[in-house]
Amino acid sequence: MEIHLDKSIASQDWAKEAEAIVRKCVHCGFCNATCPTYQQLGHESEGPRGRIYLITQLLEGHPADRQTRDHLDRCLLCRACETTCPSGVPYSRLLETGRLMLEEQQPRSGLDRLKRKAMTAVIPSTGLMRAGVGIAKPLRPLLPKKLATQLPLPDKDLTRPGSLHKRRMLLLEGCAQSSLTPETNAAAARVLDRLGISLIPEASGGCCGAVRLHTSDRERGLQDIRNRIDTWWPAIENGIEAIISTASGCGVTVKDYAHLMQNDPEYADKAERISALTLDLAELIAAETAESTPKSELAQDLRVAFHSPCTLQHGQKIVGVIEALLERYGYSLVPVGDAHLCCGSAGTYAVLQPVLSGQLKADKLAQLQLSSPDLIATANVGCQLHLRKDADVPVLHWIELLDRSKG
Amino acid sequence: MTDLSRDIAARVQVGFEKGSPIDIGGAGTKSFLGRPSPTATTLDVTGHRGIIEYDPAELILVARAGTPLQEIEDTLDSRQQMLGFEPPFSAQGATLGGAVAAGLAGPRRAYSGAVRDFILGASFINGKGEIITSGGKVMKNVAGFDLFRPMAGAMGTLGVLLKAALRIVPRPEAEETLLHEENDETTALEKMNRWALQTQAISAAAWDGENIRIRLSGSSAGIAHGEVQIGGEKLTESDYWNDLNNFRLEFFKQQGRLWRIALAPMSGPIGMNSPQLIDWGGAQRWLMSDEPADDIRARVAHLGGHASCYSDDPAVPTFQPLQGDLLALNQRLKAALDPAGILNPGRLDPKL
Amino acid sequence: MSRAKPNSDPLIQQLRSVLPDSCIVSDPASMKPYECDGLSGYRQMPRVVVLPTTVEQVQAVMKACQASKTPVVPRGAGTSLSGGAMPHKNGVVLSVNRLNRILDIDGQNRCATLQPGVRNLQISDAVEHLGLYYAPDPSSQIACTIGGNVAENAGGVHCLKYGLTVHNILQVKIVTLNGDLVTLGSTAPDSPGNDLLALMMGSEGMLGIVVEVVVRLLPRPPLARVLMAAFDDIEKAGNAVANVIASGVIPAGFEMMDRAAITAAEDFVRAGYPADAEAILLCEVDGTEQEVNAQLDRVKALLDKAGATQISLAKDENERILFWSGRKNAFPAVGRISPDYYCMDGTIPRKEIGNVLTRISAMADKYGLGVANVFHAGDGNLHPLILYDANKPGDFVKAEEFGGEILDLCVAVGGTITGEHGVGVEKIDRMCVQFDEATLAQFLAVREAFDPDGLLNPDKAVPTLARCAEFNAMHVHHGKLPHPELERF
Repeated sequence: MEIHLDKSIASQDWAKEAEAIVRKCVHCGFCNATCPTYQQLGHESEGPRGRIYLITQLLEGHPADRQTRDHLDRCLLCRACETTCPSGVPYSRLLETGRLMLEEQQPRSGLDRLKRKAMTAVIPSTGLMRAGVGIAKPLRPLLPKKLATQLPLPDKDLTRPGSLHKRRMLLLEGCAQSSLTPETNAAAARVLDRLGISLIPEASGGCCGAVRLHTSDRERGLQDIRNRIDTWWPAIENGIEAIISTASGCGVTVKDYAHLMQNDPEYADKAERISALTLDLAELIAAETAESTPKSELAQDLRVAFHSPCTLQHGQKIVGVIEALLERYGYSLVPVGDAHLCCGSAGTYAVLQPVLSGQLKADKLAQLQLSSPDLIATANVGCQLHLRKDADVPVLHWIELLDRSKG
Repeated sequence: MTDLSRDIAARVQVGFEKGSPIDIGGAGTKSFLGRPSPTATTLDVTGHRGIIEYDPAELILVARAGTPLQEIEDTLDSRQQMLGFEPPFSAQGATLGGAVAAGLAGPRRAYSGAVRDFILGASFINGKGEIITSGGKVMKNVAGFDLFRPMAGAMGTLGVLLKAALRIVPRPEAEETLLHEENDETTALEKMNRWALQTQAISAAAWDGENIRIRLSGSSAGIAHGEVQIGGEKLTESDYWNDLNNFRLEFFKQQGRLWRIALAPMSGPIGMNSPQLIDWGGAQRWLMSDEPADDIRARVAHLGGHASCYSDDPAVPTFQPLQGDLLALNQRLKAALDPAGILNPGRLDPKL
Repeated sequence: MSRAKPNSDPLIQQLRSVLPDSCIVSDPASMKPYECDGLSGYRQMPRVVVLPTTVEQVQAVMKACQASKTPVVPRGAGTSLSGGAMPHKNGVVLSVNRLNRILDIDGQNRCATLQPGVRNLQISDAVEHLGLYYAPDPSSQIACTIGGNVAENAGGVHCLKYGLTVHNILQVKIVTLNGDLVTLGSTAPDSPGNDLLALMMGSEGMLGIVVEVVVRLLPRPPLARVLMAAFDDIEKAGNAVANVIASGVIPAGFEMMDRAAITAAEDFVRAGYPADAEAILLCEVDGTEQEVNAQLDRVKALLDKAGATQISLAKDENERILFWSGRKNAFPAVGRISPDYYCMDGTIPRKEIGNVLTRISAMADKYGLGVANVFHAGDGNLHPLILYDANKPGDFVKAEEFGGEILDLCVAVGGTITGEHGVGVEKIDRMCVQFDEATLAQFLAVREAFDPDGLLNPDKAVPTLARCAEFNAMHVHHGKLPHPELERF
């Protein structure tokens, strides 16, 4: 598409990158077909093609208003459009650029700002999350169902193996996951232990940067990344084999460190190394287990609906891997329609856009539960907690199923 | 091979200027359809004839309106091709123009398409005597309004057809008919429609109250597959479909008015105690009945279809009369093409 | 939307009395992306956009527009490549995207009733469990709506054997300019009166707003297989197409791509297209296993004889889908090799394919622009994609001139300026080349029968006679009128 950068920004690297992205778009509109917000709202400005158009206006120096920001805010950044796009437009990068430009041009109202600030303060801080959960846990029976489902379940096995194998990998604990679903990483550690791999915990907890980056708090998001790199670097120098992410939302961000830090002379090389080392748990286990894995009896008769998180299928382009693993271990998967659509969790989206998020969740659960599965499995803590609120069946991380099968 | 376009145009122009109605005359094989205006003078177009272009490799044929269908069919047959809509009355001298105007298609219709589906383009003379050309001779063409398609079935009320370009189809390698005994109407309808889902080889399906007949067309492999799916007794030699298409079966010789009922195929029985012959897998039903026209039409309309009276009875309009907004739209279209209302007035509808 | 500044436009105030605020888009930022459709070279900001959720709302909008003599531009998914949904500066854009429900699926009568905003591919997905599908499959089928398909009489890969939109629609409900709801066609094979249903197909939104569509569904063939044939010469490939059809085989789909298109598509889908071929053909046959095998043998022999350098059969269903995926995504995939493209859509007799492609390639040299060819070879429907750079001054104008010359050539060899994309704003001047004055006047009279005030999608599809006089004068100025002697068929 045609674009003529505004003179005031024409020499900036980020603007040139945005220009190159717009030029890749041919305005065909295929993206709208798989965009969750476009499908809900039927409005050209609520789909990727329209948002690219709006961002092009910004880049060309036309004044923006609150409506423009509302349209960009409603994007889930699920990146389904990137999977659909035949022209290969890296839409999410352009959207983040657009949002940053608007943060400067259009200061937010008090309440909006407060909400965002609260979230970007609490979630990324492992300490604060833990404290909150610790206070709430004993009160579980007294809490409303919706809130209670967000807390870690009491009967979960949180033990981790003590043995130390020769093969060692660094485990991303994750800020939300380590507090809210600690059973996931415990299960991952046990499964990998049986495969002869030890998971080394992070020296200290913290956010990978995703939360602040997605709420257009770029500078502090990049600082989160630098903190993570500093925390992990000793382990990397110590020769860990890989960095393992059990939450696809974190994994997709860490895999993008190379790009995010490319203009930071001090961190660029380290970030590139880290991105190259990072694997989603599914990629690792698929590579480490044989096709002939004996089917577990425990798995028999359990019908599973798998929800593939956007950060897994669209962000990391890992498609069908976990489904194949579950089947290999003997679980039977039920068909799920519109599997490409977002569940509405999308990081902080559920809080910032509650109405749309709720509609998407209802649609997603209807599809997941259509064939009456015994449980729902997913691969990202955000989706897991979001769906769990209204699901009629348990919502687990898939690794728990493999762990149960002693795989 | 004569091109009378200019002569015909001149005749229509005179009619337009004087406001005198014209009855477009072909071979007259379908004169029982529609009620011609008593004051109209006949414009014989049978002299405007001849195949203008036939390109078997392109699957197209262009011919003038007065060309006898038989001539076209013989030409196509020599190259193992045929018309896709199986028009009736070729042997009686029917012309291409009449076939298009009446829009009648044979047993194949439900499986391969209507007359209008095989027209790629047409030239016609509008009610002012102007030559209008819409469409072309290529398979896909969306330039301009497709005025050539409504020519099919308009009974000559929208224009005098001069020539049409037709999409031609390869003649199937083989054809055969299977017979199934079946007395129950609902079961017969259900079977004919179920089989249509199971094999693509069906090219006709009819039920006469006692038997279902299914015609299979295509490659020998396709027909063999159809036989396995459908089963039944194989009829070796059969003029049945030709006789059905040309109203020569015994059924048509019975007493009573002949009604053509058009319905969605699985609409279920019409529920009239009159002799009935079901064609097109249920979508076209022939009824021999002297019941009041309004009763029949109301009953069929209730099922979502419409009824035409094929017996020449001045008291009963052939086609179901139009009403309301749909009539108004038809009248405005007619006026756009034939402002003086001189072309076959009343032939399609008393108000057109 | 609700936060928009109060608007003093009396039309918008009137629309507010018949539509909820959430269905009206009137602030400039939210309207901006509506200023063009898939043909982004042509732009116009609308006066207001409406997103009705019921048929009654559509009727109310139409009445309000007729009363105030306001133009109405209907819009589906906005994937038109001819500017069919480009707004009118004084007009309303009426988007049907919120009318997107499947109302009924009738497996027994093999039809489905849809609101106009239902996406093409959604139909086949929804009836797959019944063993049925909806045949017309334009390449934009993932996104385009059935309402838009009706307006454009959309084609696609499989219409060679199964027909265009017009052959697969049983009934539509339209809202006329004065707000009446009229049913055209029927689930019966025909209906009383003139075939207004057929007239509606491809009428580019100028005769009424389609608010409901009943489509015919076909049984899925038991087996479909596709083979890919590579050629070292584009003319040989073109002739191979004509030979196969002439032999009496009607493939379910028969497509062609040249080297530039192959490169772009392969980069996106990794279908395994041969990178060194000058052209590839994709030929799909369907039916029972025996039928398919017999046809494949015949096609293979013919392609071989025509000089194919390589013939490979998709080994399974996944590979078949992959082969098609490359073809279906080929247009936008060209975005990988060029910042912009201008897509032409002429149809020509199949026997002219080789000749016309050679001449297009010569024109490309003359204009100094690249061209990628990807098209429905089986029905002679060309899609030359003229590669240009919208950022370069003058490039688009050059691309338009190049395109115009291609269309004139299509008409000259006995074809048409548009096979399936519609005339829209883009090819409106070329209508003056293809049709004579009497026919154009007749088109205008028919339009007036439905829309006496000329408010439905004005300035599209059918040029006024004055416009043609102007265009022809310019054309004559450049030389002589293109092919005045030509009888169109």
